[in-house]
Amino acid sequence: MQNRFRLSRRACLQGLGATLALPLLETMGWAEAKAAKPPVRLAFMYMPHGVIMDQFWPKSPGSFLTSPPPALESLRPVLDQCLLVKGISGVAIAPFNGAPHALELSTWLTAKLPDARQRNRINIGISADQIAANYVGGFTSLPSLELATMPQTHKENQEGLNEGYYTHCSFSSPTQPLPAEINPRVVLNRLFGKTNQPGQPTQANPLDRRMLDLVLGGARDLRRRLPKTDQEKLDEYLDSVRSVERRIAAIEHRQKEAALAKAGVSSTKRNDADSPTIEIKIPEGDKRSEYMQVMCDLNVLAFQTDTTRVSTYIGSTPNGVSYPELGFKNEHHSQTHHNQDAEMVRKVAAITAFNIEQFAHMVKKMATLREGDGTLLDNCIMMWGTGLEDGNKHTRENLPFIIAGKSGGSLKTGRFIADVKGNQGDLLTTLLACMGVPLDRPIGIATKQIKEMMVNA
Amino acid sequence: MKTLCWIILTSLATALAGRAAMTDAAEAEARRKEVRQTFLKDIVPFLQANCYECHGNKKRKAGVDFSRMINRPEAADYRRVWQLALTSVRDHEMPPREADKQPTEAERKRFADWIGTIKFLSVQDPGAFVIRRLTKAEYANTLRDLLGVDPAVAAELPEDVAGAGYMNTLSPLQTEQFLGVAQAALDQALGPVGGKPTKLAKTLLGEPPSPRSDAREAARKVARSFAGRAFRRPPTEEEVEVLVKVFDLGRESQLAYPEALRLMLKAVLVSPQFLFITPAQEAVADQPIVPLDDYQLASRLSYFLWATMPDAELLSLAASGKLHEPAVLRAQAKRMLADKRSRALFDGFGAQWLGVGGLQQKTFDTAKFPQMTPALRAAMYEEARLFFESIVRENRSVVNFVNGDYTFLNGTLAPLYGLEKQVKGPEMRRVQLADANRGGILGMPGVLAGTSMPERTSAVKRGVWVLEQVLGQHVPPAPANVPTLEKQDQQKVASMTLRQRTELHRTNPACANCHKLLDPIGFGLENFDAIGRWRDRDDSGGAIDAAGELPGGKRFATPKELKAIIAGRQDDLARNLTEKLLAYALCRELEGYDQLIADQLAETLARDGYRMQTLISEVVTSYPFLNRRVQTTVTANAK
Repeated sequence: MQNRFRLSRRACLQGLGATLALPLLETMGWAEAKAAKPPVRLAFMYMPHGVIMDQFWPKSPGSFLTSPPPALESLRPVLDQCLLVKGISGVAIAPFNGAPHALELSTWLTAKLPDARQRNRINIGISADQIAANYVGGFTSLPSLELATMPQTHKENQEGLNEGYYTHCSFSSPTQPLPAEINPRVVLNRLFGKTNQPGQPTQANPLDRRMLDLVLGGARDLRRRLPKTDQEKLDEYLDSVRSVERRIAAIEHRQKEAALAKAGVSSTKRNDADSPTIEIKIPEGDKRSEYMQVMCDLNVLAFQTDTTRVSTYIGSTPNGVSYPELGFKNEHHSQTHHNQDAEMVRKVAAITAFNIEQFAHMVKKMATLREGDGTLLDNCIMMWGTGLEDGNKHTRENLPFIIAGKSGGSLKTGRFIADVKGNQGDLLTTLLACMGVPLDRPIGIATKQIKEMMVNA
Repeated sequence: MKTLCWIILTSLATALAGRAAMTDAAEAEARRKEVRQTFLKDIVPFLQANCYECHGNKKRKAGVDFSRMINRPEAADYRRVWQLALTSVRDHEMPPREADKQPTEAERKRFADWIGTIKFLSVQDPGAFVIRRLTKAEYANTLRDLLGVDPAVAAELPEDVAGAGYMNTLSPLQTEQFLGVAQAALDQALGPVGGKPTKLAKTLLGEPPSPRSDAREAARKVARSFAGRAFRRPPTEEEVEVLVKVFDLGRESQLAYPEALRLMLKAVLVSPQFLFITPAQEAVADQPIVPLDDYQLASRLSYFLWATMPDAELLSLAASGKLHEPAVLRAQAKRMLADKRSRALFDGFGAQWLGVGGLQQKTFDTAKFPQMTPALRAAMYEEARLFFESIVRENRSVVNFVNGDYTFLNGTLAPLYGLEKQVKGPEMRRVQLADANRGGILGMPGVLAGTSMPERTSAVKRGVWVLEQVLGQHVPPAPANVPTLEKQDQQKVASMTLRQRTELHRTNPACANCHKLLDPIGFGLENFDAIGRWRDRDDSGGAIDAAGELPGGKRFATPKELKAIIAGRQDDLARNLTEKLLAYALCRELEGYDQLIADQLAETLARDGYRMQTLISEVVTSYPFLNRRVQTTVTANAK
């Protein structure tokens, strides 16, 4: 069991020659395992352009819980379940000095720079969420969930970098950015099928899975006829076909489980009646807060139902975004170059607080949902962050991060650690370690784990 | 065998091209030699003396190491560094001012000039044409043409990731959704399972075989004919066999004959052969460069001009092996441009080139510009589209993009031109313009709005846009940490015009180099506000001063005069459009050898009065369009 558990999803999927067996599924659902311990889920939520530092960082470790800084006000009820670490530096962006914003998001979860010699193509590194998804994604019907508020179609060429770098944070391989979904209804359908009843699985068609199996077999012949460069492209596609196959198999598995439950032979330890149901309402208007909260709710729901264990939510994108709901029209980016102008500082602070509020909405909801002996939040790592420290000067020395959730008990929350020495890669490496994801190499520029964040440090 | 014929045929064609090619090759070789000699004699010593200290193999500041680049200066990977080196050496940014040794003006010039000749070092190389997946738009259009369904069936697929400035490159779509879309498309085309079959269902699936005949044979026939269209080439026997197996699977699972066929068609629609443009013929071992087979060429042509699958005529020309003949290709391009599907060339290329693709989503200050409604934005897009198409379909000179004296308006758009009395109603129509400040892309509201901020114009953005998108000049990015206009002391600048404020930038020498080029163009267009209306005063109330001077002492006082100067640079205009269209057609960034091809195309274009259809037919008959490199590099990689 132990050995099998350590097999990564990608290892199962690697290479066309590999068999198409689904070795992990039979033993997958956590609820079935003896001495069930809820799985740890990992979520990232993003805002670009940095923060107003003196409104974000607590004055001292002691004052963190009693008088939190203005930016964190919305998190007050759950601050004891949050962890703030100051002293995490971002990736230095030379030789892309002219592209501070293009790289904010794409370096965020990769902790790595794009390949400078092929900058017009996507070539960066696999992102932390996808490393986690490779490991735990096989346990759930969706390996990971990628969400965004704005379409990922930014058009601007900085330093000749591929425009995809502006708007993507998840990379399933160094060359494969994962598109994020912006339509809540589509997300709902993907999570639960077109039934619109959360918890009701899609009508998985086993025939589809066997049909895909045949298609993949046929693709092998095609692959042989192609030159090598083409084969690589084809493999990217075949990988994703295989993941669809697995997803259908996982849904079949769940259907079997549900049928068993109906027959009174449930093996599941979870008691759904413990938690209130979450109602998803797709907003009619275009109020940003409502929209973002629905996306957050979907994220909560996906975690609660163990439909996925990894998610990223690009809450906002660099450039071109304004917040009419806050009573001003200016673009976020233009205000961050405030040069200490009081009015502009106020606007940036308001935008930051607004984004954190949406994150708080999600976290607070998770804190009300019971799971095992605690809450859903106890079993999660929820990270909110931004790709710059100070948007005014594009600095990235102390990247602002908020972590909520105890990671099933491995993170020590309710603290502000003011003097961590580490980088973005170290932070991501630490979070994955807390989640129990074994790494064969550090993430991006990482050199260590930040032990101070963990219990028993 | 088929492949062998191909090779013989192509070599025959090459041989017929004859003597001209020989002398061309000899000339190219001589020039290559000359450029390399200059490089060894002048440039390497220049780099060693002035650059190696910081950009050599010891220190690699900004990641630049010239000592590695001198082995193969023409490598595509280095193009960007050379470009940057050119501007920074020419503009005295490098070597840094504090350096003791400074090259002479003549040395700087020789260096900059040489960089312009690097392209001559490239050996003949059509570039890679890696199989690519259809973009979202192409996928939707292909389903439309294949099954007669509404392309909106694919609307829920995520947006494509753009590459190299154009969206025609490969993008990863979510496969999972392909399955759902395939199902929906089949339901739409064939009618619900068990329901009354549609007319198309009868054509596609044929009559159910009589109980006595062989159902598998009937299915095989359906597979062969459907896959032949969906794969845009005849399927191989193995491919047909796989599909028949899917049919068997359906039958074993107790599906009725038509439902088992439907499962088989679904398999076609999620096959990589449908989602990717794949060659019909196997790659020849040990051959680094191969011509595209005619089916692949048919797809390349059809996705370029129509963003959809080849029609019956293209496929039949491919089947008869005639399509690659230049005369046939030219005739087909002409036919395709006349077809209404060629609006895809604007939606895919023109809209991106002119920067109007994102107009619907772009944020505008609604208090200041309440008229920026979805209807007005749509009209702006339509104006740009109809104007672009008029130049394509009427085979006009590409210079008309700048100096055209007509446009297309409807009642929504006309007020921006002050023509609300003359043009009424929702339909767009051609309008002759009397005001020479208008007409052409530089005075077009969609373009002007596309280069503006939500609440104001940006002379800098407009300047960059004209230089890069219209004249094809490379503008280096602003250095890090430059304050934007909003960062200026608000009180001090409150009463200044945008021009006066922007000019503060230029008091900084680091900014002045580029801005003395950009700003005059942007200011020359200041009479157009952020949504393209004419104005005499800007937001501060100050009078607009549109006068300026471009390098070479060309002075102008109005948008009309600026347009005339830019239209006068017809070779630059043509060369720029050639490069952009070629990159779009090839679905990749241009590399060294492509620059030489672009030179040739631009020359041909100039000889033929810069006509748009000539440009397009030259692109589709060009060497990199017809051939592809199937190995990583054509030369040994000197490491």
